[in-house]
Amino acid sequence: MHLMNFWLEPRYLGWLAHGFLITLILSACVSVCATLLGFGLAMARIAQHRAVATAAKLYVLVFRNSPLLVQLLFWYFGAAMLLPSAWMTWLNTPHVLSAGPFALHWPSFELFAGWLGLTCYSTAFIAEEFRAGIRGVGIAQYQASAALGMTRYATLRHVVLPQAVRIATPPLAGQYMNIVKNSSLTMAIGVAELSYASRQVDTESFRTFQAFGTATVLYVGTVALIETALVIWQHTGVRALQRGRA
Amino acid sequence: MNLRVLGAVIAGSLFVMSAAAHADRLDDIKKAGVLRVAAFDSNPPFGFVDPKSNQIVGLDVDYARALATRLGVKLEIQPTNPANRIAFLKSGKVDLVFANFTITDDRKKEVDFSTPYFASGTQFIAKKGTLTSPQQLNGLRIGADKGTTNEQQVRAQFPSATIIAYDDTPFAFAALRTGNVQAITQDGPKLVALLAKVPDKANYEIPPFTISNDYEGVGVPKGETRLLNVVNDTLKDLEAKGTAGTIYDTWFGPKSAAPLPRLFRIGDPQKS
Repeated sequence: MHLMNFWLEPRYLGWLAHGFLITLILSACVSVCATLLGFGLAMARIAQHRAVATAAKLYVLVFRNSPLLVQLLFWYFGAAMLLPSAWMTWLNTPHVLSAGPFALHWPSFELFAGWLGLTCYSTAFIAEEFRAGIRGVGIAQYQASAALGMTRYATLRHVVLPQAVRIATPPLAGQYMNIVKNSSLTMAIGVAELSYASRQVDTESFRTFQAFGTATVLYVGTVALIETALVIWQHTGVRALQRGRA
Repeated sequence: MNLRVLGAVIAGSLFVMSAAAHADRLDDIKKAGVLRVAAFDSNPPFGFVDPKSNQIVGLDVDYARALATRLGVKLEIQPTNPANRIAFLKSGKVDLVFANFTITDDRKKEVDFSTPYFASGTQFIAKKGTLTSPQQLNGLRIGADKGTTNEQQVRAQFPSATIIAYDDTPFAFAALRTGNVQAITQDGPKLVALLAKVPDKANYEIPPFTISNDYEGVGVPKGETRLLNVVNDTLKDLEAKGTAGTIYDTWFGPKSAAPLPRLFRIGDPQKS
């Protein structure tokens, strides 16, 4: 018997590959968006404007203190209830935006809700990592900048943030790993990602070990890749940053 | 010539003797005046204990009673669970099984089955008027329960349909209500039970078609040909006289708690 057939039939490997692709796309989109939003949220939390800082604090409180699964179910089932039915029809029909040979497919509502839920959740955590990085910069740095006559914005931009980002990077990498693993929860709202695909392969092929084994290896591999990227960045990126800017 | 006649006589008498040696169950039933039937006691509406009368009632029981009436004997119900059905028949504890007994090739090795008197299959719930024929399924988003045969059947028969699998049927129904899927799939009787509990059930319907079929028949002890024939003839006659339809309507008719269109009549050709 062919080795691949002994493990899983090509059809099932195809399902797993497709699921893995969805996991990667979802995780990448969430990571990018949550990083941008998280940075903004961290800025809002240290803002001098009281109302802005309080609103940011409230956001973190809500999204960090409730389970991700409940949040996903809320976006998919709850928020969908509030939208007009015409919107839901539009969101659930396939749309294609084509430009020459490239066609951009509007994602399924499941993927959209999964992306929204994961982004809102991860933003709170990433914002807190940024804030921790900013707080990790010594008070003397602020005082020295003030002594040099730098404005608050210039201090932040040229003195505090370069150091804060460096401090925050290892925990941020941890958050990206969490995003990859948390994306598996979106199977509850029908996102056909890796965990969903492995469960489907299990019920159709009855090869439980192979199905979940393959999924586990792919998850571990992805997280290991993020870890490797962190190590490489710490060895090259930090030095380049120090030479170039600081 | 003589030898051949003798052979025929011997063969014939052997046949008669063997028939006599095997006490015929149909004669036993008539002699005892009692038909012993195994039925479910907790599977509404097929067989369950009626809280008012404390008696086992249901669709299966009604068919069994109609048969007993035709035979002119009393009906005696033996409560059973799915696992005991074959054992009850083989040990001779009951004469027949009327317990939503799906006909399968494996079971046919152990017991005989009558012609089917009930059929269930993979069906759908959709918003009223949106789903009328199976061909439409190819263009729809369909909610299913993870790991069910329903999900696999839809995927195999309608490759262009988008299937979203949820953890259980209530989740799938929630997705239908919010408009994330246009139809959900499960076994017909289960969909009926689900729909019966929904507050806005007037907005939904179960379109009158199935994409797969399970057939339920009466379990008869192996080799009791005369009894099997009587059961088959009686079932066909119940259909011809309209009694079968009346019994169905009692439990699944438009005025019942769980209306399910009657897609299969006794004697209809079986679809796979």
